[in-house]
Amino acid sequence: MSDAPPSTQPLVLIEDVHTYYGKSHILHGVSLQIGAGEVVGLLGRNGVGKSTTLKTIMGLVQPSQGRVLLNGDPITGIPAHKLALRGIGYVPEDRRIFRLLTVMENLRTGLDRRGVTEGTKRALLDKVFKYFPVLAERRNQAGGTLSGGEQQMLAIARCMMLEPKIILLDEPTEGLMPRMVSQIGAIIDALHQENVAILLVEQNVPLTLSASQRVYIMEKGAVRHQCAASAIDVNDPVIKQYLGV
Amino acid sequence: MDAVAQFFQTFPYDQLLIQTVNGIVTGMILALVASGLTLIFGIMDVVNFAHGELFMLGAYVGVIVMVGTGSFWLALFIATLTVALIGAALQVVTLRPLIGRDPLNTILVTFGISLILQNYALWQFGPTSRKINEPITSHFILFYLEYPWYRILIAALSAVIIGGFWLFLKYSKFGVWIRATTQDRVMAQAMGIPVPLVYTGVFAIGAGMAAASGVLFAPLVGVNHTMGLDWVLKAFIVVVVGGMGNLGGSIAAAIFVSLLESYASIWVNPSQAVIVSFVVLILTLLFRPTGLFVPTPK
Ligand SMILES: Nc1ncnc2c1ncn2[C@@H]1O[C@H](COP(=O)(O)OP(=O)(O)OP(=O)(O)O)[C@@H](O)[C@H]1O
Ligand SMILES: [Mg+2]
Repeated sequence: MSDAPPSTQPLVLIEDVHTYYGKSHILHGVSLQIGAGEVVGLLGRNGVGKSTTLKTIMGLVQPSQGRVLLNGDPITGIPAHKLALRGIGYVPEDRRIFRLLTVMENLRTGLDRRGVTEGTKRALLDKVFKYFPVLAERRNQAGGTLSGGEQQMLAIARCMMLEPKIILLDEPTEGLMPRMVSQIGAIIDALHQENVAILLVEQNVPLTLSASQRVYIMEKGAVRHQCAASAIDVNDPVIKQYLGV
Repeated sequence: MDAVAQFFQTFPYDQLLIQTVNGIVTGMILALVASGLTLIFGIMDVVNFAHGELFMLGAYVGVIVMVGTGSFWLALFIATLTVALIGAALQVVTLRPLIGRDPLNTILVTFGISLILQNYALWQFGPTSRKINEPITSHFILFYLEYPWYRILIAALSAVIIGGFWLFLKYSKFGVWIRATTQDRVMAQAMGIPVPLVYTGVFAIGAGMAAASGVLFAPLVGVNHTMGLDWVLKAFIVVVVGGMGNLGGSIAAAIFVSLLESYASIWVNPSQAVIVSFVVLILTLLFRPTGLFVPTPK
């Protein structure tokens, strides 16, 4: 696989995005792209702006400069709820389960969209319950009472209810035990098989390199390096330079 | 010992029962008013000072429909719907542009709306009270009292409306949207929930519930431009005592506070009984500011 981005029109294209929180300048011209069905890793030390990049794509923070395109259409300034319906799914860092809603109601938030037939709803539920059987067991339990790992599964499952074209997946393995981590790896592969694109932010470098086709490495609010995931390994000097302690 | 025995012998048990019924009747109406208020606060962080005026507006629309059609039930229905629509329009025009701003902005706006609505009502309808006749005038005998069935009907109808609303929150798509948005507005948006629409919807529902209580209560007191003031004050007490934004808590607090006031009025003048509510409010704020009827926060 070459390390050049795909030559056809990317699914999501981010061009020279600058984002501020109040007066602090967080993103200093981030550019990256994700092709349809592509899994792309986004690596970088704490605080370099990975989550902010995802929030900017999702329309949760507005860039002061630069633009985000979805299938070639500029989407900057479009409210998040419309982007969600246009195929951008978001699984935030802290999971943000609706704690007082049951597992089923959490899933319902993404299912009760216009134009989703009962048949589609059932198929989507069957699919996530197959991937995450524990959610089926706990379907009537309040989201807030699930374990951390179960909440992570619910966050991913909830996002899948939107039938997204791309999932912005922020540190899905944070705080999970190894068996859970490999389960998350498996679900990323399964989504990839279904041609869902994923922008994967992770601290777990081996997982990111094995799950992704390409990776971007950020430092101080900008992308500093990009390459094919197969072109580097955990001991690569690039990894040492940008991620080592 | 004698004093205790004497107290129980002369205790006005009949009064106690009468006041229990009274307390539940006003408690249910108050719960209906406070539900809208607490719902709006819970989801939008908006302290709606105009809530009492929506109650009053509901009663006036009820008067107009009553005069036109003579049907109390039509009046109740049309007033609820009209004021819900007015509420939606008010929210879109005045509150939606302020989303994300300092809560002080919304307090000033709703306070302004309350003054405008009150003065509009005064200008349009004048200072004299209007009357809505109760739809049923029969009584039953409660000890030495002829107790109007209508009061019982009010309590039952309020319970039906609140119960219906609870089912709506629990099972309908929009209800799930409301609860999700109350818990995490940003994540709700990321799940494709049209949050601005949810806000407008909640404001409309709250306004409609206030209007319904206005019409239901009007036959007991008459309709004038200041009738909302007492209610909104009590509703605020109830919302704080019940735990800001907590629907179940507000309903429990409404009945609790109304019962206490009713019992107090066995021994003191009803206008002094109001003091009981304030005492409960102050004690709540001092010792349990998150609300009496919510589990201890962790
Ligand atoms: N809401 C906010 N207000 C102000 N500053 C913020 C806000 N959110 C993030 N920041 C700052 O922006 C910078 C980038 O944050 P971001 O969350 O994007 O980093 P990150 O790369 O995701 O880090 P981590 O790996 O720790 O999750 C940090 O310095 C952070 O303190
Ligand atoms: Mg982050």
